[in-house]
Amino acid sequence: MEDEDIEKAVLTYLRKKGLKLTELALQEDQSRVSSDASHSRSQNVADRYFDGYSRLRSWAYNSLDSYKHELLCVLYPVFIHCFMDLVAQGYMQEARTFFHTFREDHEIMHLRDLQKLEGILSPSHLEEMELARISRQNKVKIRLCQSSYGLLQQFIHKKCLDMLGVINQINFEVTPGQPTSISDDSEAVVLVGASQDLAREINQKELHWGLLEDSVEERMEKALSDSDKTEVEGNKEGYPEEINKKKTDGNKQGTSFSNKKKKDKAVGATGKTTRSETSMGSVAPRVKSELTGPQLPPEVELSKFEDLRNRAQLNSLALPSVSFYTFLHTRNGLNCSAISHDGSLVAGGFSDSSVKAWDMAKIGQPGRASNSQGENGSMQGMHSLASDEAKRPYSLLQGHSGPVYSVSFSPFADFLLSSSSDNTIRLWSTRLNANLVCYKGHNFPVWDAQFSPVGHYFATASHDRTARVWSIERIQPLRVMAGHLSDVDCVQWHPNCNYIVTGSSDKTVRLWDVQSGECARLFIGHRSMVLSLAISPDGRFMASGDEDGTIIMWDLSTGRSVSPIMGHNSCVWTLAFSCEGTLLASGSADCMVKLWDVTSSMKALKTDESKSGPTSRLRLLKALPTKSTPVYNLRFSRRNLLFAAGALSAGS
Amino acid sequence: MSIVPKETIEVIAQSIGIPNLSPDVALALAPDVEYRLREIIQEAIKCMRHSKRTVLTADDMDSALNLRNIEPIYGFASGDPLKFKRAIGHKDLFYLDDREVDFKEVIDAPLPKAPLDTAVVTHWLAIEGVQPAIPENPPIEAIVAPQDGKKMDHGKDDSLPVDLKLPIKHVLSRELQLYFDKIGELILLRPETALFKEALLSLAKDSGLHPLVPYFSYFIADEVSRNLSNLSILFALMRVLKSLLSNPHIHIEPYLHQMMPSIITCLVAKRVGEQVSDNHWAIRNFAAKLVSSICRRYGHVYHNLQSRLTRTLIHAFLDPSKALTQHYGAIRGLSALGPSVVRLLILPNLETYMQLLDPEMQLDKQKNELKRKEAWRVYGSLLLAAGSCLYDRLRLFPGLLSPPDIQPWKTNKKIALTHLPNNKRKASSTLNSHQPPTKKLAVDPTGANSQFPSTDGPATSSSCGSNPNHHHSHNSSNNNSSSAGNITNTNTNINNATGSGALAQRMAGSAVLRQAWKEDMDAGHLLSSLHSLFGEGVFSFIQPADMHLFI
Repeated sequence: MEDEDIEKAVLTYLRKKGLKLTELALQEDQSRVSSDASHSRSQNVADRYFDGYSRLRSWAYNSLDSYKHELLCVLYPVFIHCFMDLVAQGYMQEARTFFHTFREDHEIMHLRDLQKLEGILSPSHLEEMELARISRQNKVKIRLCQSSYGLLQQFIHKKCLDMLGVINQINFEVTPGQPTSISDDSEAVVLVGASQDLAREINQKELHWGLLEDSVEERMEKALSDSDKTEVEGNKEGYPEEINKKKTDGNKQGTSFSNKKKKDKAVGATGKTTRSETSMGSVAPRVKSELTGPQLPPEVELSKFEDLRNRAQLNSLALPSVSFYTFLHTRNGLNCSAISHDGSLVAGGFSDSSVKAWDMAKIGQPGRASNSQGENGSMQGMHSLASDEAKRPYSLLQGHSGPVYSVSFSPFADFLLSSSSDNTIRLWSTRLNANLVCYKGHNFPVWDAQFSPVGHYFATASHDRTARVWSIERIQPLRVMAGHLSDVDCVQWHPNCNYIVTGSSDKTVRLWDVQSGECARLFIGHRSMVLSLAISPDGRFMASGDEDGTIIMWDLSTGRSVSPIMGHNSCVWTLAFSCEGTLLASGSADCMVKLWDVTSSMKALKTDESKSGPTSRLRLLKALPTKSTPVYNLRFSRRNLLFAAGALSAGS
Repeated sequence: MSIVPKETIEVIAQSIGIPNLSPDVALALAPDVEYRLREIIQEAIKCMRHSKRTVLTADDMDSALNLRNIEPIYGFASGDPLKFKRAIGHKDLFYLDDREVDFKEVIDAPLPKAPLDTAVVTHWLAIEGVQPAIPENPPIEAIVAPQDGKKMDHGKDDSLPVDLKLPIKHVLSRELQLYFDKIGELILLRPETALFKEALLSLAKDSGLHPLVPYFSYFIADEVSRNLSNLSILFALMRVLKSLLSNPHIHIEPYLHQMMPSIITCLVAKRVGEQVSDNHWAIRNFAAKLVSSICRRYGHVYHNLQSRLTRTLIHAFLDPSKALTQHYGAIRGLSALGPSVVRLLILPNLETYMQLLDPEMQLDKQKNELKRKEAWRVYGSLLLAAGSCLYDRLRLFPGLLSPPDIQPWKTNKKIALTHLPNNKRKASSTLNSHQPPTKKLAVDPTGANSQFPSTDGPATSSSCGSNPNHHHSHNSSNNNSSSAGNITNTNTNINNATGSGALAQRMAGSAVLRQAWKEDMDAGHLLSSLHSLFGEGVFSFIQPADMHLFI
């Protein structure tokens, strides 16, 4: 500004004096200088980035094979930062050319990010877009071995000083020892909002992943062992459940003994003692419930006992039977489905904002169906509905005013929960076929709602980036879990009900403590939005599936990924563990149900845990294709029968 | 710079009533518009994922706009993805095909069918890990191959202690075994019952039978060779084959090579059936039909099927030592393969064959009543084959019969010819002596061919067609129908055609031959040659409209 003022002053002075020629000469000179300067400056900056990056790139590609992989990892963040720097400085055109020149290198690994970043066309967009803003603010962390780091430093200082500024955006974690190879790419650079340091910090927290004490399963074991008059220790070995637990935990000796001891301790002990036990890594520890759950009615408990007794043992050799519920004539309207624990009730949420529930026992027996409806006839306003429903094979639940994105049955199938894009969650009674409560609290569409394993509580996930925990008797949420940087897409309860896990569009999975509402674990590793979650029945492992078809197994206590695998060709809509946790079933948009062997992969994990490398892979046991029916929902019954549901797609 | 050009911005500005938007503004807006568009599409993709779909719809865009508190764009909602059409002359301009609908039409149109209500059906996707072969599950073929591959490379990269099961080649479920046994029993014991008919229907319609196909093909091959004397069983087996072939869920192609021999056996076996009185002709006819249907369906996939088949059949046909019944089967089979096969393979040999057949048909020469009847059967089948071929020709080239200049002459000729057949047959000729005694004709030197040079030139040209070397010279003889000038020519023809063991040379020259036939499509001449052999019987294959030309 000052310069301009001076120039103006000079010009007016010259004009006043009548020095025409000088004035012209000055103007000419000035304009030339300014245009030159701006031109050369822009040329310079853009070229510097371009040259610098391409030099770094060719250097990395020509490096020794053993360091190559690590050095190539550096390229991606450099690329992104170069691009964003160019945009930030206003060289739009140059930024575009830069982006398109080198885009191909990263397409395989980071296609989704690239698609997002491609849209950035002005500095203001950088501020606006979450992904860009966060990745500019936070430093990406890359693990390098000492020698690769040295090589990189040398190269930058000698030949490529231009890139120093960009490289400084990366936080190098230099580790002694051998460079990592391509096979362990699970920790490869992922641009996520949260910094890895934060993740590490969060993942330091302690976690009680054990099962609930005094659960029905436990009581069942107890009852059985009591009924046998022999020594408790020897006896427990005989129960398949115990064996399976042993398998998953790999603890070879004294299972029952330590278990017994622990139980005694846990009953009288405070949380601290259980905590210490957990950290010791003993067998499926028992923890106290921090939520007060409802009392189970005796008949429910009886049926549970019955189911446990009749449970089919599943392992890699004994695969489950799969019963498939196909929705016909949905005209692309089915958004979600749910199956009750015994498979007798099936519900679907539709984009026309209705929820439909089928009682599979009643199908084919119209007489009975209308009879049971008669009971409801006494209720006001139900008469017309009842007569209407006599014609229909299902009960139509209307109330939402937007597409229904999830439905969930309560553990005993007496309630049905539905969440919708109208920002509400509704609770329906399956006995009365009527809406009981409408929960308002989310500000945006609710993507997912899940009943807790004990009932009474439920968790929801929404576009407003929060997950919330509710109890069915209050219309306000009990907890609001905030922390995700994008939509929370799915939610799942930990079997001990003290935690929930949420999967998000920010490509992370978080584990939240229900009691405190704090984030207890942050799992980084997915490359696209997380669509499905499942936690193993022993509470130790979690599986998550994403948009690209990747399924990752996580160890909850360490927060590390155990075995990432390209499980499907398309979105993994649903995951389910078998009751003993030996099998994992996954259902996908590629019309497949796949069964994975959990036991052997986890066993392998145990044996070479010392190596601390996620080397094991889930083993595919069986792929069951459906007839052009994407699999929306999977559920193991308590007797280990696998239920699957999906809508026949219109193409066939 | 941005994907959205500034012209688009200007156009939009004009459409909402801003006539003179400065270019700078448009230029600045364009990137932002692109950014917003991308944002909204990303939101829409989220909505799509939550609707568990993989195709973006207009509804998703609406929901995405809703999320941003923007009024959705009304009027595009539909259950199906929108159908865009490419604008002619533009590489990347698309528009929605939105036809103008006449209101009246809509009102007058009958009400559309009410859409079916949503329903849930259940089935077993797997029973203890094994997919049952039921219509609800995809056919097994599709599964097995890729899965094997996956298992293989899984075993490789997997260092875990794996308890691998050895691959089991073929597991037949108990139900299928039972089904197979039942069908086998029905075929062998009660092929006449209504139950068998039901079984055939089930074989033709049910899915999930695929695992049984190898068993069936083996069973049929086995039983055909064992039960050649039992007509009813043969018939049943052929029917089963037919049902299997017609089943849309069975991928039968890989098994065809096992099934063809049994069909051909039924077609050209020397003796089928126990007693001579058995109606073995029917089963030959049936087999011929099967053969033709197989060729029609799989001829193009199974590339040497047709050639192998015709070679087998023509061998049977041209071997005079084979029984007449076999000849009959071969002729039926060949004629079932279509008129072109008849034209290429039977007609050239017709002449010679008739010489062989003639004496068999005459009361005085063939005393055996049965043999004579057989011969007449063969004659009938030949007539049918040649006639249908002629019919086909006439249908394809209706104009061929009426070249105006030659026509009256020709007609005369034909009429004259109609009186000839009797003489023809009985005539014997001295020309026989011209003919070197070849191994074929030496067997039966009746000299029925003697009349060719003396009576009518065109008639012989059918046989001459078989000889490519002489073909062109014959064209001229066709045109002027000069019978006289061709004696030597035809003679050589006959020699060539009949001599040389006929087949080998003919096969070798078949390519040239085909070409020759293509050129020579004079149906009239074909007709006259046929007429010379069959007499008036041929006329029944000519449509009345064409008939009048001759009479």
